[in-house]
Amino acid sequence: MVWIAFDWRVALVIDDKGRILDEESWSGKMSNSLIIDRLDLIGNGGITTEARRLEERWPDACVHMAGDPQLPAHEFPQPDEEMQNAFDEAALSLSEAGVAKAAGDPDRRLEHLLSASEELRAAWLTMESRLVEWTALFLPTARVERDRSRLARIIAESTSLQNLSEELSAQLPESGPGDSEWNSMVSWADMVRGCRSRLDRMEDAIRVLATEHLPSLSKLLGPLLAARLCVSAHGRMRLARLPAGTVQILGAEKAFFSHLHNGTPPPKHGHIFMHPWISRSPWWIRGKVSRMLAAKASVASRCDAFSGQLWSDEKVTEVEQRVEEIRATHQDPPPGKRR
Amino acid sequence: MAKRRGSRRPFGKEMMPGLRLQGRTAWTENATPGQDVYGETLRRGGLEEWRRWDPRRSKLGAGLVRTENEEISLLPKAGSRVLYLGAGHGTTVSHLHDIVCGADNHRGGRLVAVDLAPRCLRDLNHLARSRPGLIPLLADARKHSMIAALMPYRADWLFQDVAQASQVDIFLNACERFLRTGGLGLFSLKAASERWDGEGERALFDKVATRLSESGLELVENIELAGFEEHHMLFVCRMV
Repeated sequence: MVWIAFDWRVALVIDDKGRILDEESWSGKMSNSLIIDRLDLIGNGGITTEARRLEERWPDACVHMAGDPQLPAHEFPQPDEEMQNAFDEAALSLSEAGVAKAAGDPDRRLEHLLSASEELRAAWLTMESRLVEWTALFLPTARVERDRSRLARIIAESTSLQNLSEELSAQLPESGPGDSEWNSMVSWADMVRGCRSRLDRMEDAIRVLATEHLPSLSKLLGPLLAARLCVSAHGRMRLARLPAGTVQILGAEKAFFSHLHNGTPPPKHGHIFMHPWISRSPWWIRGKVSRMLAAKASVASRCDAFSGQLWSDEKVTEVEQRVEEIRATHQDPPPGKRR
Repeated sequence: MAKRRGSRRPFGKEMMPGLRLQGRTAWTENATPGQDVYGETLRRGGLEEWRRWDPRRSKLGAGLVRTENEEISLLPKAGSRVLYLGAGHGTTVSHLHDIVCGADNHRGGRLVAVDLAPRCLRDLNHLARSRPGLIPLLADARKHSMIAALMPYRADWLFQDVAQASQVDIFLNACERFLRTGGLGLFSLKAASERWDGEGERALFDKVATRLSESGLELVENIELAGFEEHHMLFVCRMV
């Protein structure tokens, strides 16, 4: 019985007693990129050209990588210092290339974009509600709650409280804010306004990335919801491998585990509830629609992940027709059931 | 900026090249003097600079404090070949590098540090730039061919700290493939990563201990890490 032991630079033929019968060394120039190619090759189960040459010469030999416990005990030649340094440099480059590749991973990019936009939205809402309260303190007669979205712009552009009160057609209070207080309020309003436009820009970025990364799912559910499902499943590949029942309740983990542990009613929908086909349906068919929609979403995500045929508009229309059918057959709440 | 203190007088007791003990606190000789890795205390002693091995940040560091055997019996010797699975951000790895390789790898050791997360590898790559002999590898600990490509030899010392469901299998397979006969394999078991069987943590630890010894490893010691790292047990095994 003979064996072939090899690593990235040398291959040996050895017999049962560990005697070296034949040897081939890599004679090429040891450049960084060539070593990386070789490490990549053997790392993925391939064998080097030296090992292949020996295999042709010794057809009945068993080929193993150096260090494999199946090989008989033998002395494997050690690399000299120059080789070792070249190898170390290549190994580090390989690892750095792997890290750099992670930057191109759309799953990770989506995750950051989505989390950032969620944080920004939370911050924006808190800041806006403070602005509303703040304004109402000075101008109690103004109906600020009516048009919150315009309020930030109006305040940021007004020059004084008097100016603002005219803009909002409200009465001036007896005592108003001091100069620096007023300026703080205006800059707060400016920040609220800035947050809003940043949030819009961020959501546009999510739309672009999601439409590219999840074309079919985005077509079916809209890019923002598609991105949300992908992120909460920890990636497109994992989303595609999840059963449709899991896709249906992604985002409703709290309710789901409370169901498992305490026996509360199971959730009917998670993030997918945001889709108007579910949230705009009457309560007694939401479970049915979300079950159907999750199954379709699961199929669409598989088309995206495994490079299948992308969904056409007709397919989405078919799903919409199914929703209409469900709505038509269940026009009234089931008897005896209440919300 | 790291805290630095102490005089030129040696302190504690030198257990082996690169490792000092003062009480139960371990210090390793800094391979990159003046630089700390994770905010640990730096200290002069003799001509060298020493880094405090924080048992709260490193499970191996906690193992050194808790072990009933001699501390150095847990650690690899200077110049040995080490495989570390689940290297994380390089806290423990940096101390091992101090011992096994030292500054400019003058001890001639090899330390292959494997992790699956690109985020961790980013830190390990920075560490490897200043510490020759440390080889970072972005790979799954279960994918042996990738590890073997960078490690065409068997290791003298192996450490595994991966918190995932099949951690015992990963450890046994890795020992079988990569650990030389007589080599030491350390395995940090996170109870929460195993499937809960309703019998409690103690039963789980016992079960794993039985499995390790049945698979032909000699179980040297189980070190309870509670107090430093909850729900963790460090198993020390010898390959026979």
